[in-house]
Amino acid sequence: MAELAKAHAKALMPSFGDGKEDQHLIEALTQEITGLIKRSEKKLQRLSAAGPSEDSNVRKNVQRSLATDLQNLSMELRKKQSTYLKRLRQQKEGQDGVDLEMNLNGSRSKMEDDDLDNMVFTEHQMAKLKKSEAFTAEREKEIQQVVESVNELAQIMKDLSVLVIDQGTIVDRIDYNIQSVATTVEEGLKQLEKAERTQKKGGMVMCATVLIIMCFIMLVLLILKEIFF
Amino acid sequence: MSLVTAVRDYINRMLQDISGMKVLILDSHTVSTVSVAYSQSELLQKEVFLVELVDSISKSKESMSHLKAVFFLRPTSENIQRLRRQLASPRFGEYHLFFSNLLKDTQIHNLADSDEQEVVQQVQEFYADFVAIDPYHFTLNVPSNHLYMLPAVVDPPSLQNFCDRVVDGIAAVFLALKRRPIIRYQRTSDIAKRIAQETAKLMYQQESGLFDFRRTEVSPLLLVIDRRDDPLTPLLNQWTYQAMVHELIGIQDNKVDLRSTGKFPKDQQEVVLSSEQDAFFKANMYENFGDIGMNIKRLVDEFQQIAKSNQNIQTIEDMAKFVDNYPEYKKMQGNVSKHVTLVTEMSKIVEERKLMLVSQTEQELACNGGQVAAFEAVTNLLNNESICDIDRLRLVMLYALRYEKESPVQLMQLFTKLASRSAKYKPGLVQFLLKQAGVDKRTGDLYGNRDFLNIARNMARGLKGVENVYTQHQPLLFQTVESITKGRMRDVDYPYVGNHFQQGRPQEVVIFIVGGTTYEESRSVALQNASNSGIRFILGGSVVLNSKRFLKDLEEAQRMARPSTTVL
Repeated sequence: MAELAKAHAKALMPSFGDGKEDQHLIEALTQEITGLIKRSEKKLQRLSAAGPSEDSNVRKNVQRSLATDLQNLSMELRKKQSTYLKRLRQQKEGQDGVDLEMNLNGSRSKMEDDDLDNMVFTEHQMAKLKKSEAFTAEREKEIQQVVESVNELAQIMKDLSVLVIDQGTIVDRIDYNIQSVATTVEEGLKQLEKAERTQKKGGMVMCATVLIIMCFIMLVLLILKEIFF
Repeated sequence: MSLVTAVRDYINRMLQDISGMKVLILDSHTVSTVSVAYSQSELLQKEVFLVELVDSISKSKESMSHLKAVFFLRPTSENIQRLRRQLASPRFGEYHLFFSNLLKDTQIHNLADSDEQEVVQQVQEFYADFVAIDPYHFTLNVPSNHLYMLPAVVDPPSLQNFCDRVVDGIAAVFLALKRRPIIRYQRTSDIAKRIAQETAKLMYQQESGLFDFRRTEVSPLLLVIDRRDDPLTPLLNQWTYQAMVHELIGIQDNKVDLRSTGKFPKDQQEVVLSSEQDAFFKANMYENFGDIGMNIKRLVDEFQQIAKSNQNIQTIEDMAKFVDNYPEYKKMQGNVSKHVTLVTEMSKIVEERKLMLVSQTEQELACNGGQVAAFEAVTNLLNNESICDIDRLRLVMLYALRYEKESPVQLMQLFTKLASRSAKYKPGLVQFLLKQAGVDKRTGDLYGNRDFLNIARNMARGLKGVENVYTQHQPLLFQTVESITKGRMRDVDYPYVGNHFQQGRPQEVVIFIVGGTTYEESRSVALQNASNSGIRFILGGSVVLNSKRFLKDLEEAQRMARPSTTVL
């Protein structure tokens, strides 16, 4: 994140060069951070889906705390991006204005010269105009990309907000959480007991006992048959 | 320093030095203490990923040695037993034991003996043995509160338990504030005297080293008084927000359970009313019902404005702004719907039970004179079919408390009428109340008609007229607080324990009401604290009463007292 901040600052500084490398660096960093956040989010989701166990409460709470941290981080990233965007836009307009002014001044000061010079300067003007147009188009593209990543992050934030606890509500109370744990554990126990009872009452045990008794009877009959015959 | 900050301080100290994933284990009392001062999200920030109760934890067998266990328990013998069993077969990696009050040496020895595997890393005492529901109001949530009404001969061991619990709670408050007080008590109450003397013994003799704090110029004051000196306040219906919610619905540890009053969506079945976490509640908890209605309307309007602006999302910037503000918006929505639900519920109850009518008569009975008019009003209301039993009972009790000597015949008429009208009425309850808290038993001047100064004051107030008929009543505590502020508490009525004495006014005062406090009294204390008189008051009680709880205590006490009276 700190790297991204530095890259933003550098790109915003007015420079003589094209500034293309800076743009690439910013893009790369932004992509990296967004990717990291997305991966963390996926891992977080996987954490919850990993089945119930004793640990499940611990897992849920870990999830909650990490989700809060992630949300804070992504908000920070978006804020930084939006400020960068704003300043970029200001700069672009400023530069355009400056360019145009320069052009106007140039044309006005050169108007007094003779026609030959005029034609040359007009071409010069055209070249300048074309260059600034291309520059504007590029800046526009960059802004578009930044806006896209902002939207992506907004989406992630919405997903995360489901996991995060709302402060000050009943869900944020320790005793409420303990109670719900207690009731779920009790419910689980009840279900287990019920299952045990149905199993015991169930036909399987009866059948097995009857069969064993039958086996014994048959065995006894067999022995008796052997003895008497 | 407020009590809530003290408790939070203790919890922070418990958790700060232990790194890694932790599990916090509480017992049924400390869970209340911790829940009102600390939220789940704050615990998560401190890496406490599991919270359990000490009784349920022994049932599970799974070992979680990657977690460090932080125990915060009251040092009772049952808890020590459970701990010993835990230590014999430890489930967690490390054990850090914290107790909310003083441990006896034998208990420490027992624990050390059971710690065969040496998993215990530290044992400390952090004195948070009370529930700090508001910054200057605490309660002890004593389970069998009615014992204070019974003479000691009825059930000596239970009464001793009650006194021990109260003394422990008061001691913890002073240890948390790091002060040792001068103690005064109400002369006419045996239980107040007993508690005051036992507290003095603890602080000045048994544990005098522990309580030997830096002496300030003027020692703080502990005043122990009895609920029965002011039986009027718990019986009255309330019209200020916090008190009204407790009276009509019921607040327990700053939580309101709405499930009993009707069907609600899942997230509104239980709500939290905490002045620390809810700014709107903090601003409105002492306002009366009419003003609350207006303020809630304003809140709803604000919220609707924001909701409308959220709907015009047209550019990407708007979208970004919306997502930015979404958590705030959601929180506000929850808060607004919580308060709207509460006020709607209360309005419904007021409508059903005709409380405007009933409360007007109650306030007349409590504040103004006129026995004949009062008798008529009470009779009319008793005849009114739509008044429910509990309100009828309260009206008769209020009449009896005020006019018990003036016209016995009419009083008997009211008793018979009440018995005939209310099917569930336990006969003799009003007489029992009079025996406990009648005019002969009370020290304070409950109705302002004992000395001429008070009578004159009342007449002046009557002539001036009142701002609001429903909130005329001032609890007796207000007068007590005033007399402390002016340094004019009479030694005859409120003697000192032993050879204590205090010259001048104290800077800090803790008032403990044996039998329970009410939210009306805590409002009185809070407003007094806000008025910058230079003295800080803290109020505490064994429970927080509303009329239902007070009547239940009376019934329980009456039930227990009956066999002994027949013996005599």
